Order: sequence, then structure tokens, then C-alpha cells
Amino acid sequence: MTDAMHVILVVEDDQAIQNILRMLFEANGFRVVMAGTAARGEHDARLHRPDIVLVDLGLPDRDGINVIKGIRQWSPVPIIVLSARSAEPQRLAAFEHGADDYVMKPFSAPELLARVRAIVRRHVRGSLPMGVLELGDVTVDLGRRVVRSRDGREVRLTPLEHRILETLARHGERIVTSAALIKEVWGPDRDDTRALRVYIGSLRKKLEVDPGRPKYILTELGVGYRLVIDPDPAADATVESV
Amino acid sequence: MQQPGAPIASSPQTQRLAGGAPWLDYLRGLAVTGACTVVAFPLYPKVDSVNIIMLYLLGTTFGALRLGRGPSVLISVANILAFDFFFVPPQFSFDVEDTQYFFTMGVMLIVALVIANLVVNIRRQRELADIREGRTAVLYAMSRELAVARDSQTMAAVAVRHVCAVFHSSALVLIADDRGLLSPAGAPPAGATSGPCPVLLANDYDPDLAQAVVARGERLIGDAIYLPLHGSRRVKGVMVVRPQSAAQAPAADQLNLLDAFAVQLAHSLRRARLADAAESARIAAERASLRNTLLASISHDLRTPLSAIAGAGSLIAQPGYALNNDRRTTLGHLIERKARDMSQLLSNILELMQIESSNGAPRTDWHAIEDLVAHSLRANEARLAQRRVAVELPANLPLVLVDASLIVQILNNLLENASKYTPPGTTITISAAVNEEHVLLAVADDGPGLPPGDPQRLFEKFQRGRAESTVVGVGLGLAICRAAARLHGGDIRAMNAPEGGARFEITLPVETQLDALPPAEPEPLRN
Repeated sequence: MTDAMHVILVVEDDQAIQNILRMLFEANGFRVVMAGTAARGEHDARLHRPDIVLVDLGLPDRDGINVIKGIRQWSPVPIIVLSARSAEPQRLAAFEHGADDYVMKPFSAPELLARVRAIVRRHVRGSLPMGVLELGDVTVDLGRRVVRSRDGREVRLTPLEHRILETLARHGERIVTSAALIKEVWGPDRDDTRALRVYIGSLRKKLEVDPGRPKYILTELGVGYRLVIDPDPAADATVESV
Repeated sequence: MQQPGAPIASSPQTQRLAGGAPWLDYLRGLAVTGACTVVAFPLYPKVDSVNIIMLYLLGTTFGALRLGRGPSVLISVANILAFDFFFVPPQFSFDVEDTQYFFTMGVMLIVALVIANLVVNIRRQRELADIREGRTAVLYAMSRELAVARDSQTMAAVAVRHVCAVFHSSALVLIADDRGLLSPAGAPPAGATSGPCPVLLANDYDPDLAQAVVARGERLIGDAIYLPLHGSRRVKGVMVVRPQSAAQAPAADQLNLLDAFAVQLAHSLRRARLADAAESARIAAERASLRNTLLASISHDLRTPLSAIAGAGSLIAQPGYALNNDRRTTLGHLIERKARDMSQLLSNILELMQIESSNGAPRTDWHAIEDLVAHSLRANEARLAQRRVAVELPANLPLVLVDASLIVQILNNLLENASKYTPPGTTITISAAVNEEHVLLAVADDGPGLPPGDPQRLFEKFQRGRAESTVVGVGLGLAICRAAARLHGGDIRAMNAPEGGARFEITLPVETQLDALPPAEPEPLRN
């Protein structure tokens, strides 16, 4: 963890939630910038150059999606959506416009903090090197396309499986929507999710310790997939608690 | 039964007469007289004049049987004259020698006229009976079809078809709304023709005339025939009938039959309206009772956690109470847990409302069942910490075309139930099986099993296994499961497993899409 205080921009109009978020992040070593409207949020993002942005979707002046779009035009800063909207299309829209994560209200404070920390850490570290991935007992050499288990046995991946893994890895732990993944792996002419599901399944069988309870290749329901390089045991303790 | 399309010739003229103009019948009458004379003449005087009279009476009877009243009278008179001329001495003269022949001829005329009258009357009655029978058959044919029609639109279509079959006329049924404004009863299905008659379009009638029929409640004839369809109190609709040849004025008996059609249709429409009213009343009552139950349950299930939250919050906020950190933490956890219960309740209600109000198909995509199960287990990890979970999914499970969030919701609710209603240490087993038509997904536990009673009632809204329960939740979880499963064309059942414990089985239809699966990539060779 870096010593310098991370700046978190919170775009949220509800006073009570503002207070809680301020307490939570200030108590955990963040400097908090609070914005109550979408316009204010975009302005503060330019002014304060935060390390991470937390956006509520239901803002008084405009939809929070606009804040994401606005910031994405000039900055790759990680953005977490914090919203009571749980419908899939809305989550999908947030991810498509560049959100990095989506936390549902009512949120659990430790979980939110864990996610924010994980994303900041990853972002600071930069995107994953196209080198060697350690997924538990399995080592993936993306450049040479060689996968070995801990005992040195080679795990054979098909070219498509490799391409899926590479694509996930290139996005560094961020969610890749199913549509984007299909486009990158199969090309723009396919929109059949069945092949993707099948290959994700076979990848898990080869890479996961328990394919029934994957730890590395995670499904974001109705949205897409994400590769988790080193699953945080702390994050596991505070799973989605709705 | 009268087949639609086989027209009934209901015009009395065409039925009564052999054909042709009326004067032809009078000629035929004279021919009858002539024939009688020709037959009788060679027999005279070998045959007595009494028998000649009989022959003429036979002719009269025959004429009355086949021809109308007028020709029959003509035959009677002509017979007397012919008898007088050819057979009464002096022959070939209208003179009468013996005055008693006047008496004979007078009686003969009266008898002939009486016979003619009787026969004509009988025939007319038979004809009327025929017409009535024809009308009854036609009406019966229509009423039979109307009786099985359920909605006014179908009824209107039946009436239009029968009007075409019987009258060769196009028809259109207009239904009045609450304010008495008329509109066509449903658009005719695209490309449909009502038999050989051209479809009468929605704007093919005179709206003013139609409204006048509604206002006055009687039949009006303008560019077409406008027949009122009476409701119990006022005119509820109008049937517009347009004969194919506009110039042809409808005969009175045809109008009567049309009236009868209209009355039939009006009766059926009234029945449809009553059925509609009864149905909506039933729905309204059901909805009201559901709302009351919902309100009672929600207010209970929201107030309970709310009072806990408010209580805990006020305790923490009081500076005077020297709460140590442990106690504060306990209260904080309590607030969080209760708030989550409420949130869960709200999302259940929202979810159910969404499923029940969505008319269309669910938002489906292809998903692996393993994935959905894994997702649900992950979401319920904390809840299931005290239980053992076994996942037994066969390797050959096909992808399913489902709304992932709904299937996960089903699994979540079942897992939540399992965690609520079984003691810690229980084993929860998630298993699946597949055949050609269905995927069967089962969530079973080895806990105490389902409460006594019909297990399927658990899927009703606001049902809880045990009436007196401290477990929070309005009993919507399983109702959601069922709604979601059915939305996919599947179902869910609850049962006690033979080896003990509760078992829930979800069936989902399998799309036979194996042919459309992506071609399998060759597996790399293993060393």
C-alpha cells in the first residue's frame, strides 16, 4: 500500500450516505471529495484528479451514467458505481460506458472498502503484464502460451481458450462484457453467447481448483466475466450480502 | 344443420310458384280445364255427367294444389263453363235445357271453390311452416356458433359470416362503448374474407345513421340496413348489413329474419358483457384481498425490523448510556442485519411485481447451469456458512436459454429457505438431471422436511411453512420461484424426500439446439 493519501471522489446526493461514506473512507486513510450533483462531480474530477471515483446513478441533475461518460472522455481513473438499481440492463450500461465495478445499495461498508482498495491497488500497479499469470496452482505464460500446474505438468489450452484468457488478462481484473469478449475472441460477426459459455466452462475445468466454485474466472451475472489474479481472502469473507 | 354457404331461398314467391310470372299460372289454369275437357269428351255420353263433374272437380283440386288461389278460382269457373258448353244439352251451347242443371252447376261451383280454398290454405300453411323451419335452422346454426364464442369479437365475426351465408350481404358489427360511441367490434383478421362477401370495412358505413339507431333503438335503412343490438337497458351496438346489389330492396320477411339475427347476436353480446363483468369483479376482489394480505404482511415485516433499527440507533445515539465498544458493535450489527432483511423483503416484492407484470418473455440468453449455481452459492456463502453444501452436477448438462437473474433468484430463495428452516450442520445438495425435454434442478436438504399439508401450497403468496414463525419474510420467496420458473415455461415442485428432508425440484424446458452448438474445437493432445 502506498503511503500518500488516495483521493476518492464521491458523487452522491443523499446526505446520509454522504456522511457514512465520508466517515468510512476518512477513517481508512482516504481524502474524500464530495459532490452532490453530476455537474459538480465532473468538475471536481478535473479539479482534484482523484485516484478513484464513486458514482451514484440517481443524481438530481443528470443520470450518473453521464458522469462516467464525461470522465471516460479524458481519464482512465477507476470508477465504481454505487446504486440501488439492480436490473441487468442498467448494470450492463454502466459497464459499457466504462465503469470498473458496480456495488449495489444497500452496501456493506467493509465490502465497499475492500472493493475500492482492490481497484486502487490494481490501478496503481497498472494493467497486467502480458507475462506470467499465477492462478493459484496454475501458472499461465501468456507470451509463450504455456500453462503449467504446480507439479510441472503442462495444461493444454485450445487456441480459443488461450485467446479468452488473454483477453480477460489484458483487461486486468476489470469486467469484460460478454459482447466485448465475443468480439475480441471470435471477431465482430458473432453474437452467440453459447460458444463463450462453453469455453469459459472448459477453461474453468482446466484452471480452477473447484470449477463449480470458480475463484479466478468469475461470472458477473448478465454482464460478463472478470479474471481475478490473486483472490483476496478478506474479500471472500464479505461476499455479496444481499 | 344448415351449412353456411348454402343459401336458403326464403322468398315466398320463389317457393310457391313453379316459376314465371303470375299470368302464366292463369294460363296453366285454363290448360287444366282444357285437359279435363279433352279427357272427358270422348267418354261422353258413355259416362254419366255426374262422373264428368267428378273429373272437373279433380282438375280443380289438382290446380289448387299446384297453382295459386286466383288460378284455382279461374279453373272452377272455367270448368263450369266448359261443362255447360260441352256436356249439358244442348251440346256446344251455353244454353241449358233442363233447369236442374243450374242447380248441379251451382253446387259444382261451390264445391270447387271450397276445395280450391281449402287446398290453397293447406298449401300456404305448409309453405309457411317450411319458411319457419328454414329460418329456425338458419338461426339455430348461428346461435350454436354464438354459444361457443367467448368474446364479442368472435361473436361479431360469427354473425358477419352467417349474414353473408344467408343473405349474401356484407355485414359489420359496431359495439357501443360506455358513452354510446360506436366502433367496429375488432378488425377483421388480415386477409380474411367473410365467405364470398366483400369485407365491410370500418369506415364503410354512415356513422350518423348508426348513432341514430343507437339513439332511437329501431331499425333504419339508408345506404345499408342498420339493425340495433339491444342491451338490457339501451342499445349496445349496431349491425350494418349491406346487400351486394344496392338497388335490391330487402323483402319484408328478409328484414324480419335479419331482425331475428340481430336479436340473437344482441343476446350473445349481452352474455359476453355479463361474463366480462363477472370476471373483472372476480379479479378486482382477488386483487383487493391480495392487497390486504400484502399490506398486513408488509407492515408487520417492515415494522419489526424498523423498530429494532430505531431502538438500536437511539441507544447508540444517547451519550448518557456508557456503551462499551462491544455493545456498540452488537447494535451496529443488529441495525445492519435488520436493514438487510428489509432490503431483501423489498427486493422480493419488487421482483414479484416485475415478473407478474411482465407480459413478454423473459430476457433470456444461453447460460451454463454450473455457472448459475456457482453464482448463487457465492452470493449465499455467508448464509450457508453453518451448512454443508454438496453440488452434484452431471458433466453433460446442456446450456439453457434462461433469464440468468431469475434462475439465480430461484436458487437464492431456495438456499435462503434451506438456511432459514434447517438446523446448522444440515447438508444441502444441489443436483441436476437432464432428459430430452427438461433439465431438472433440485435443491434438497436432510433437515426436518416440509411442514405437514400440501407442499404445493407453499408456493402461494404469503404462505409460510409455519403459521407462527419468528423467521422474517412475507412468504414471497417461493411464490417468486414459481413465477420465475413458469415464466420460463417450466415449473417448481416441493416434496419430502423419501430419505428425509425437503426437496425442491425445478424443471426447465431444454431447447433442442445441439445441432446449433459451435463446432467443438479439437482438444490439444495430452502428453
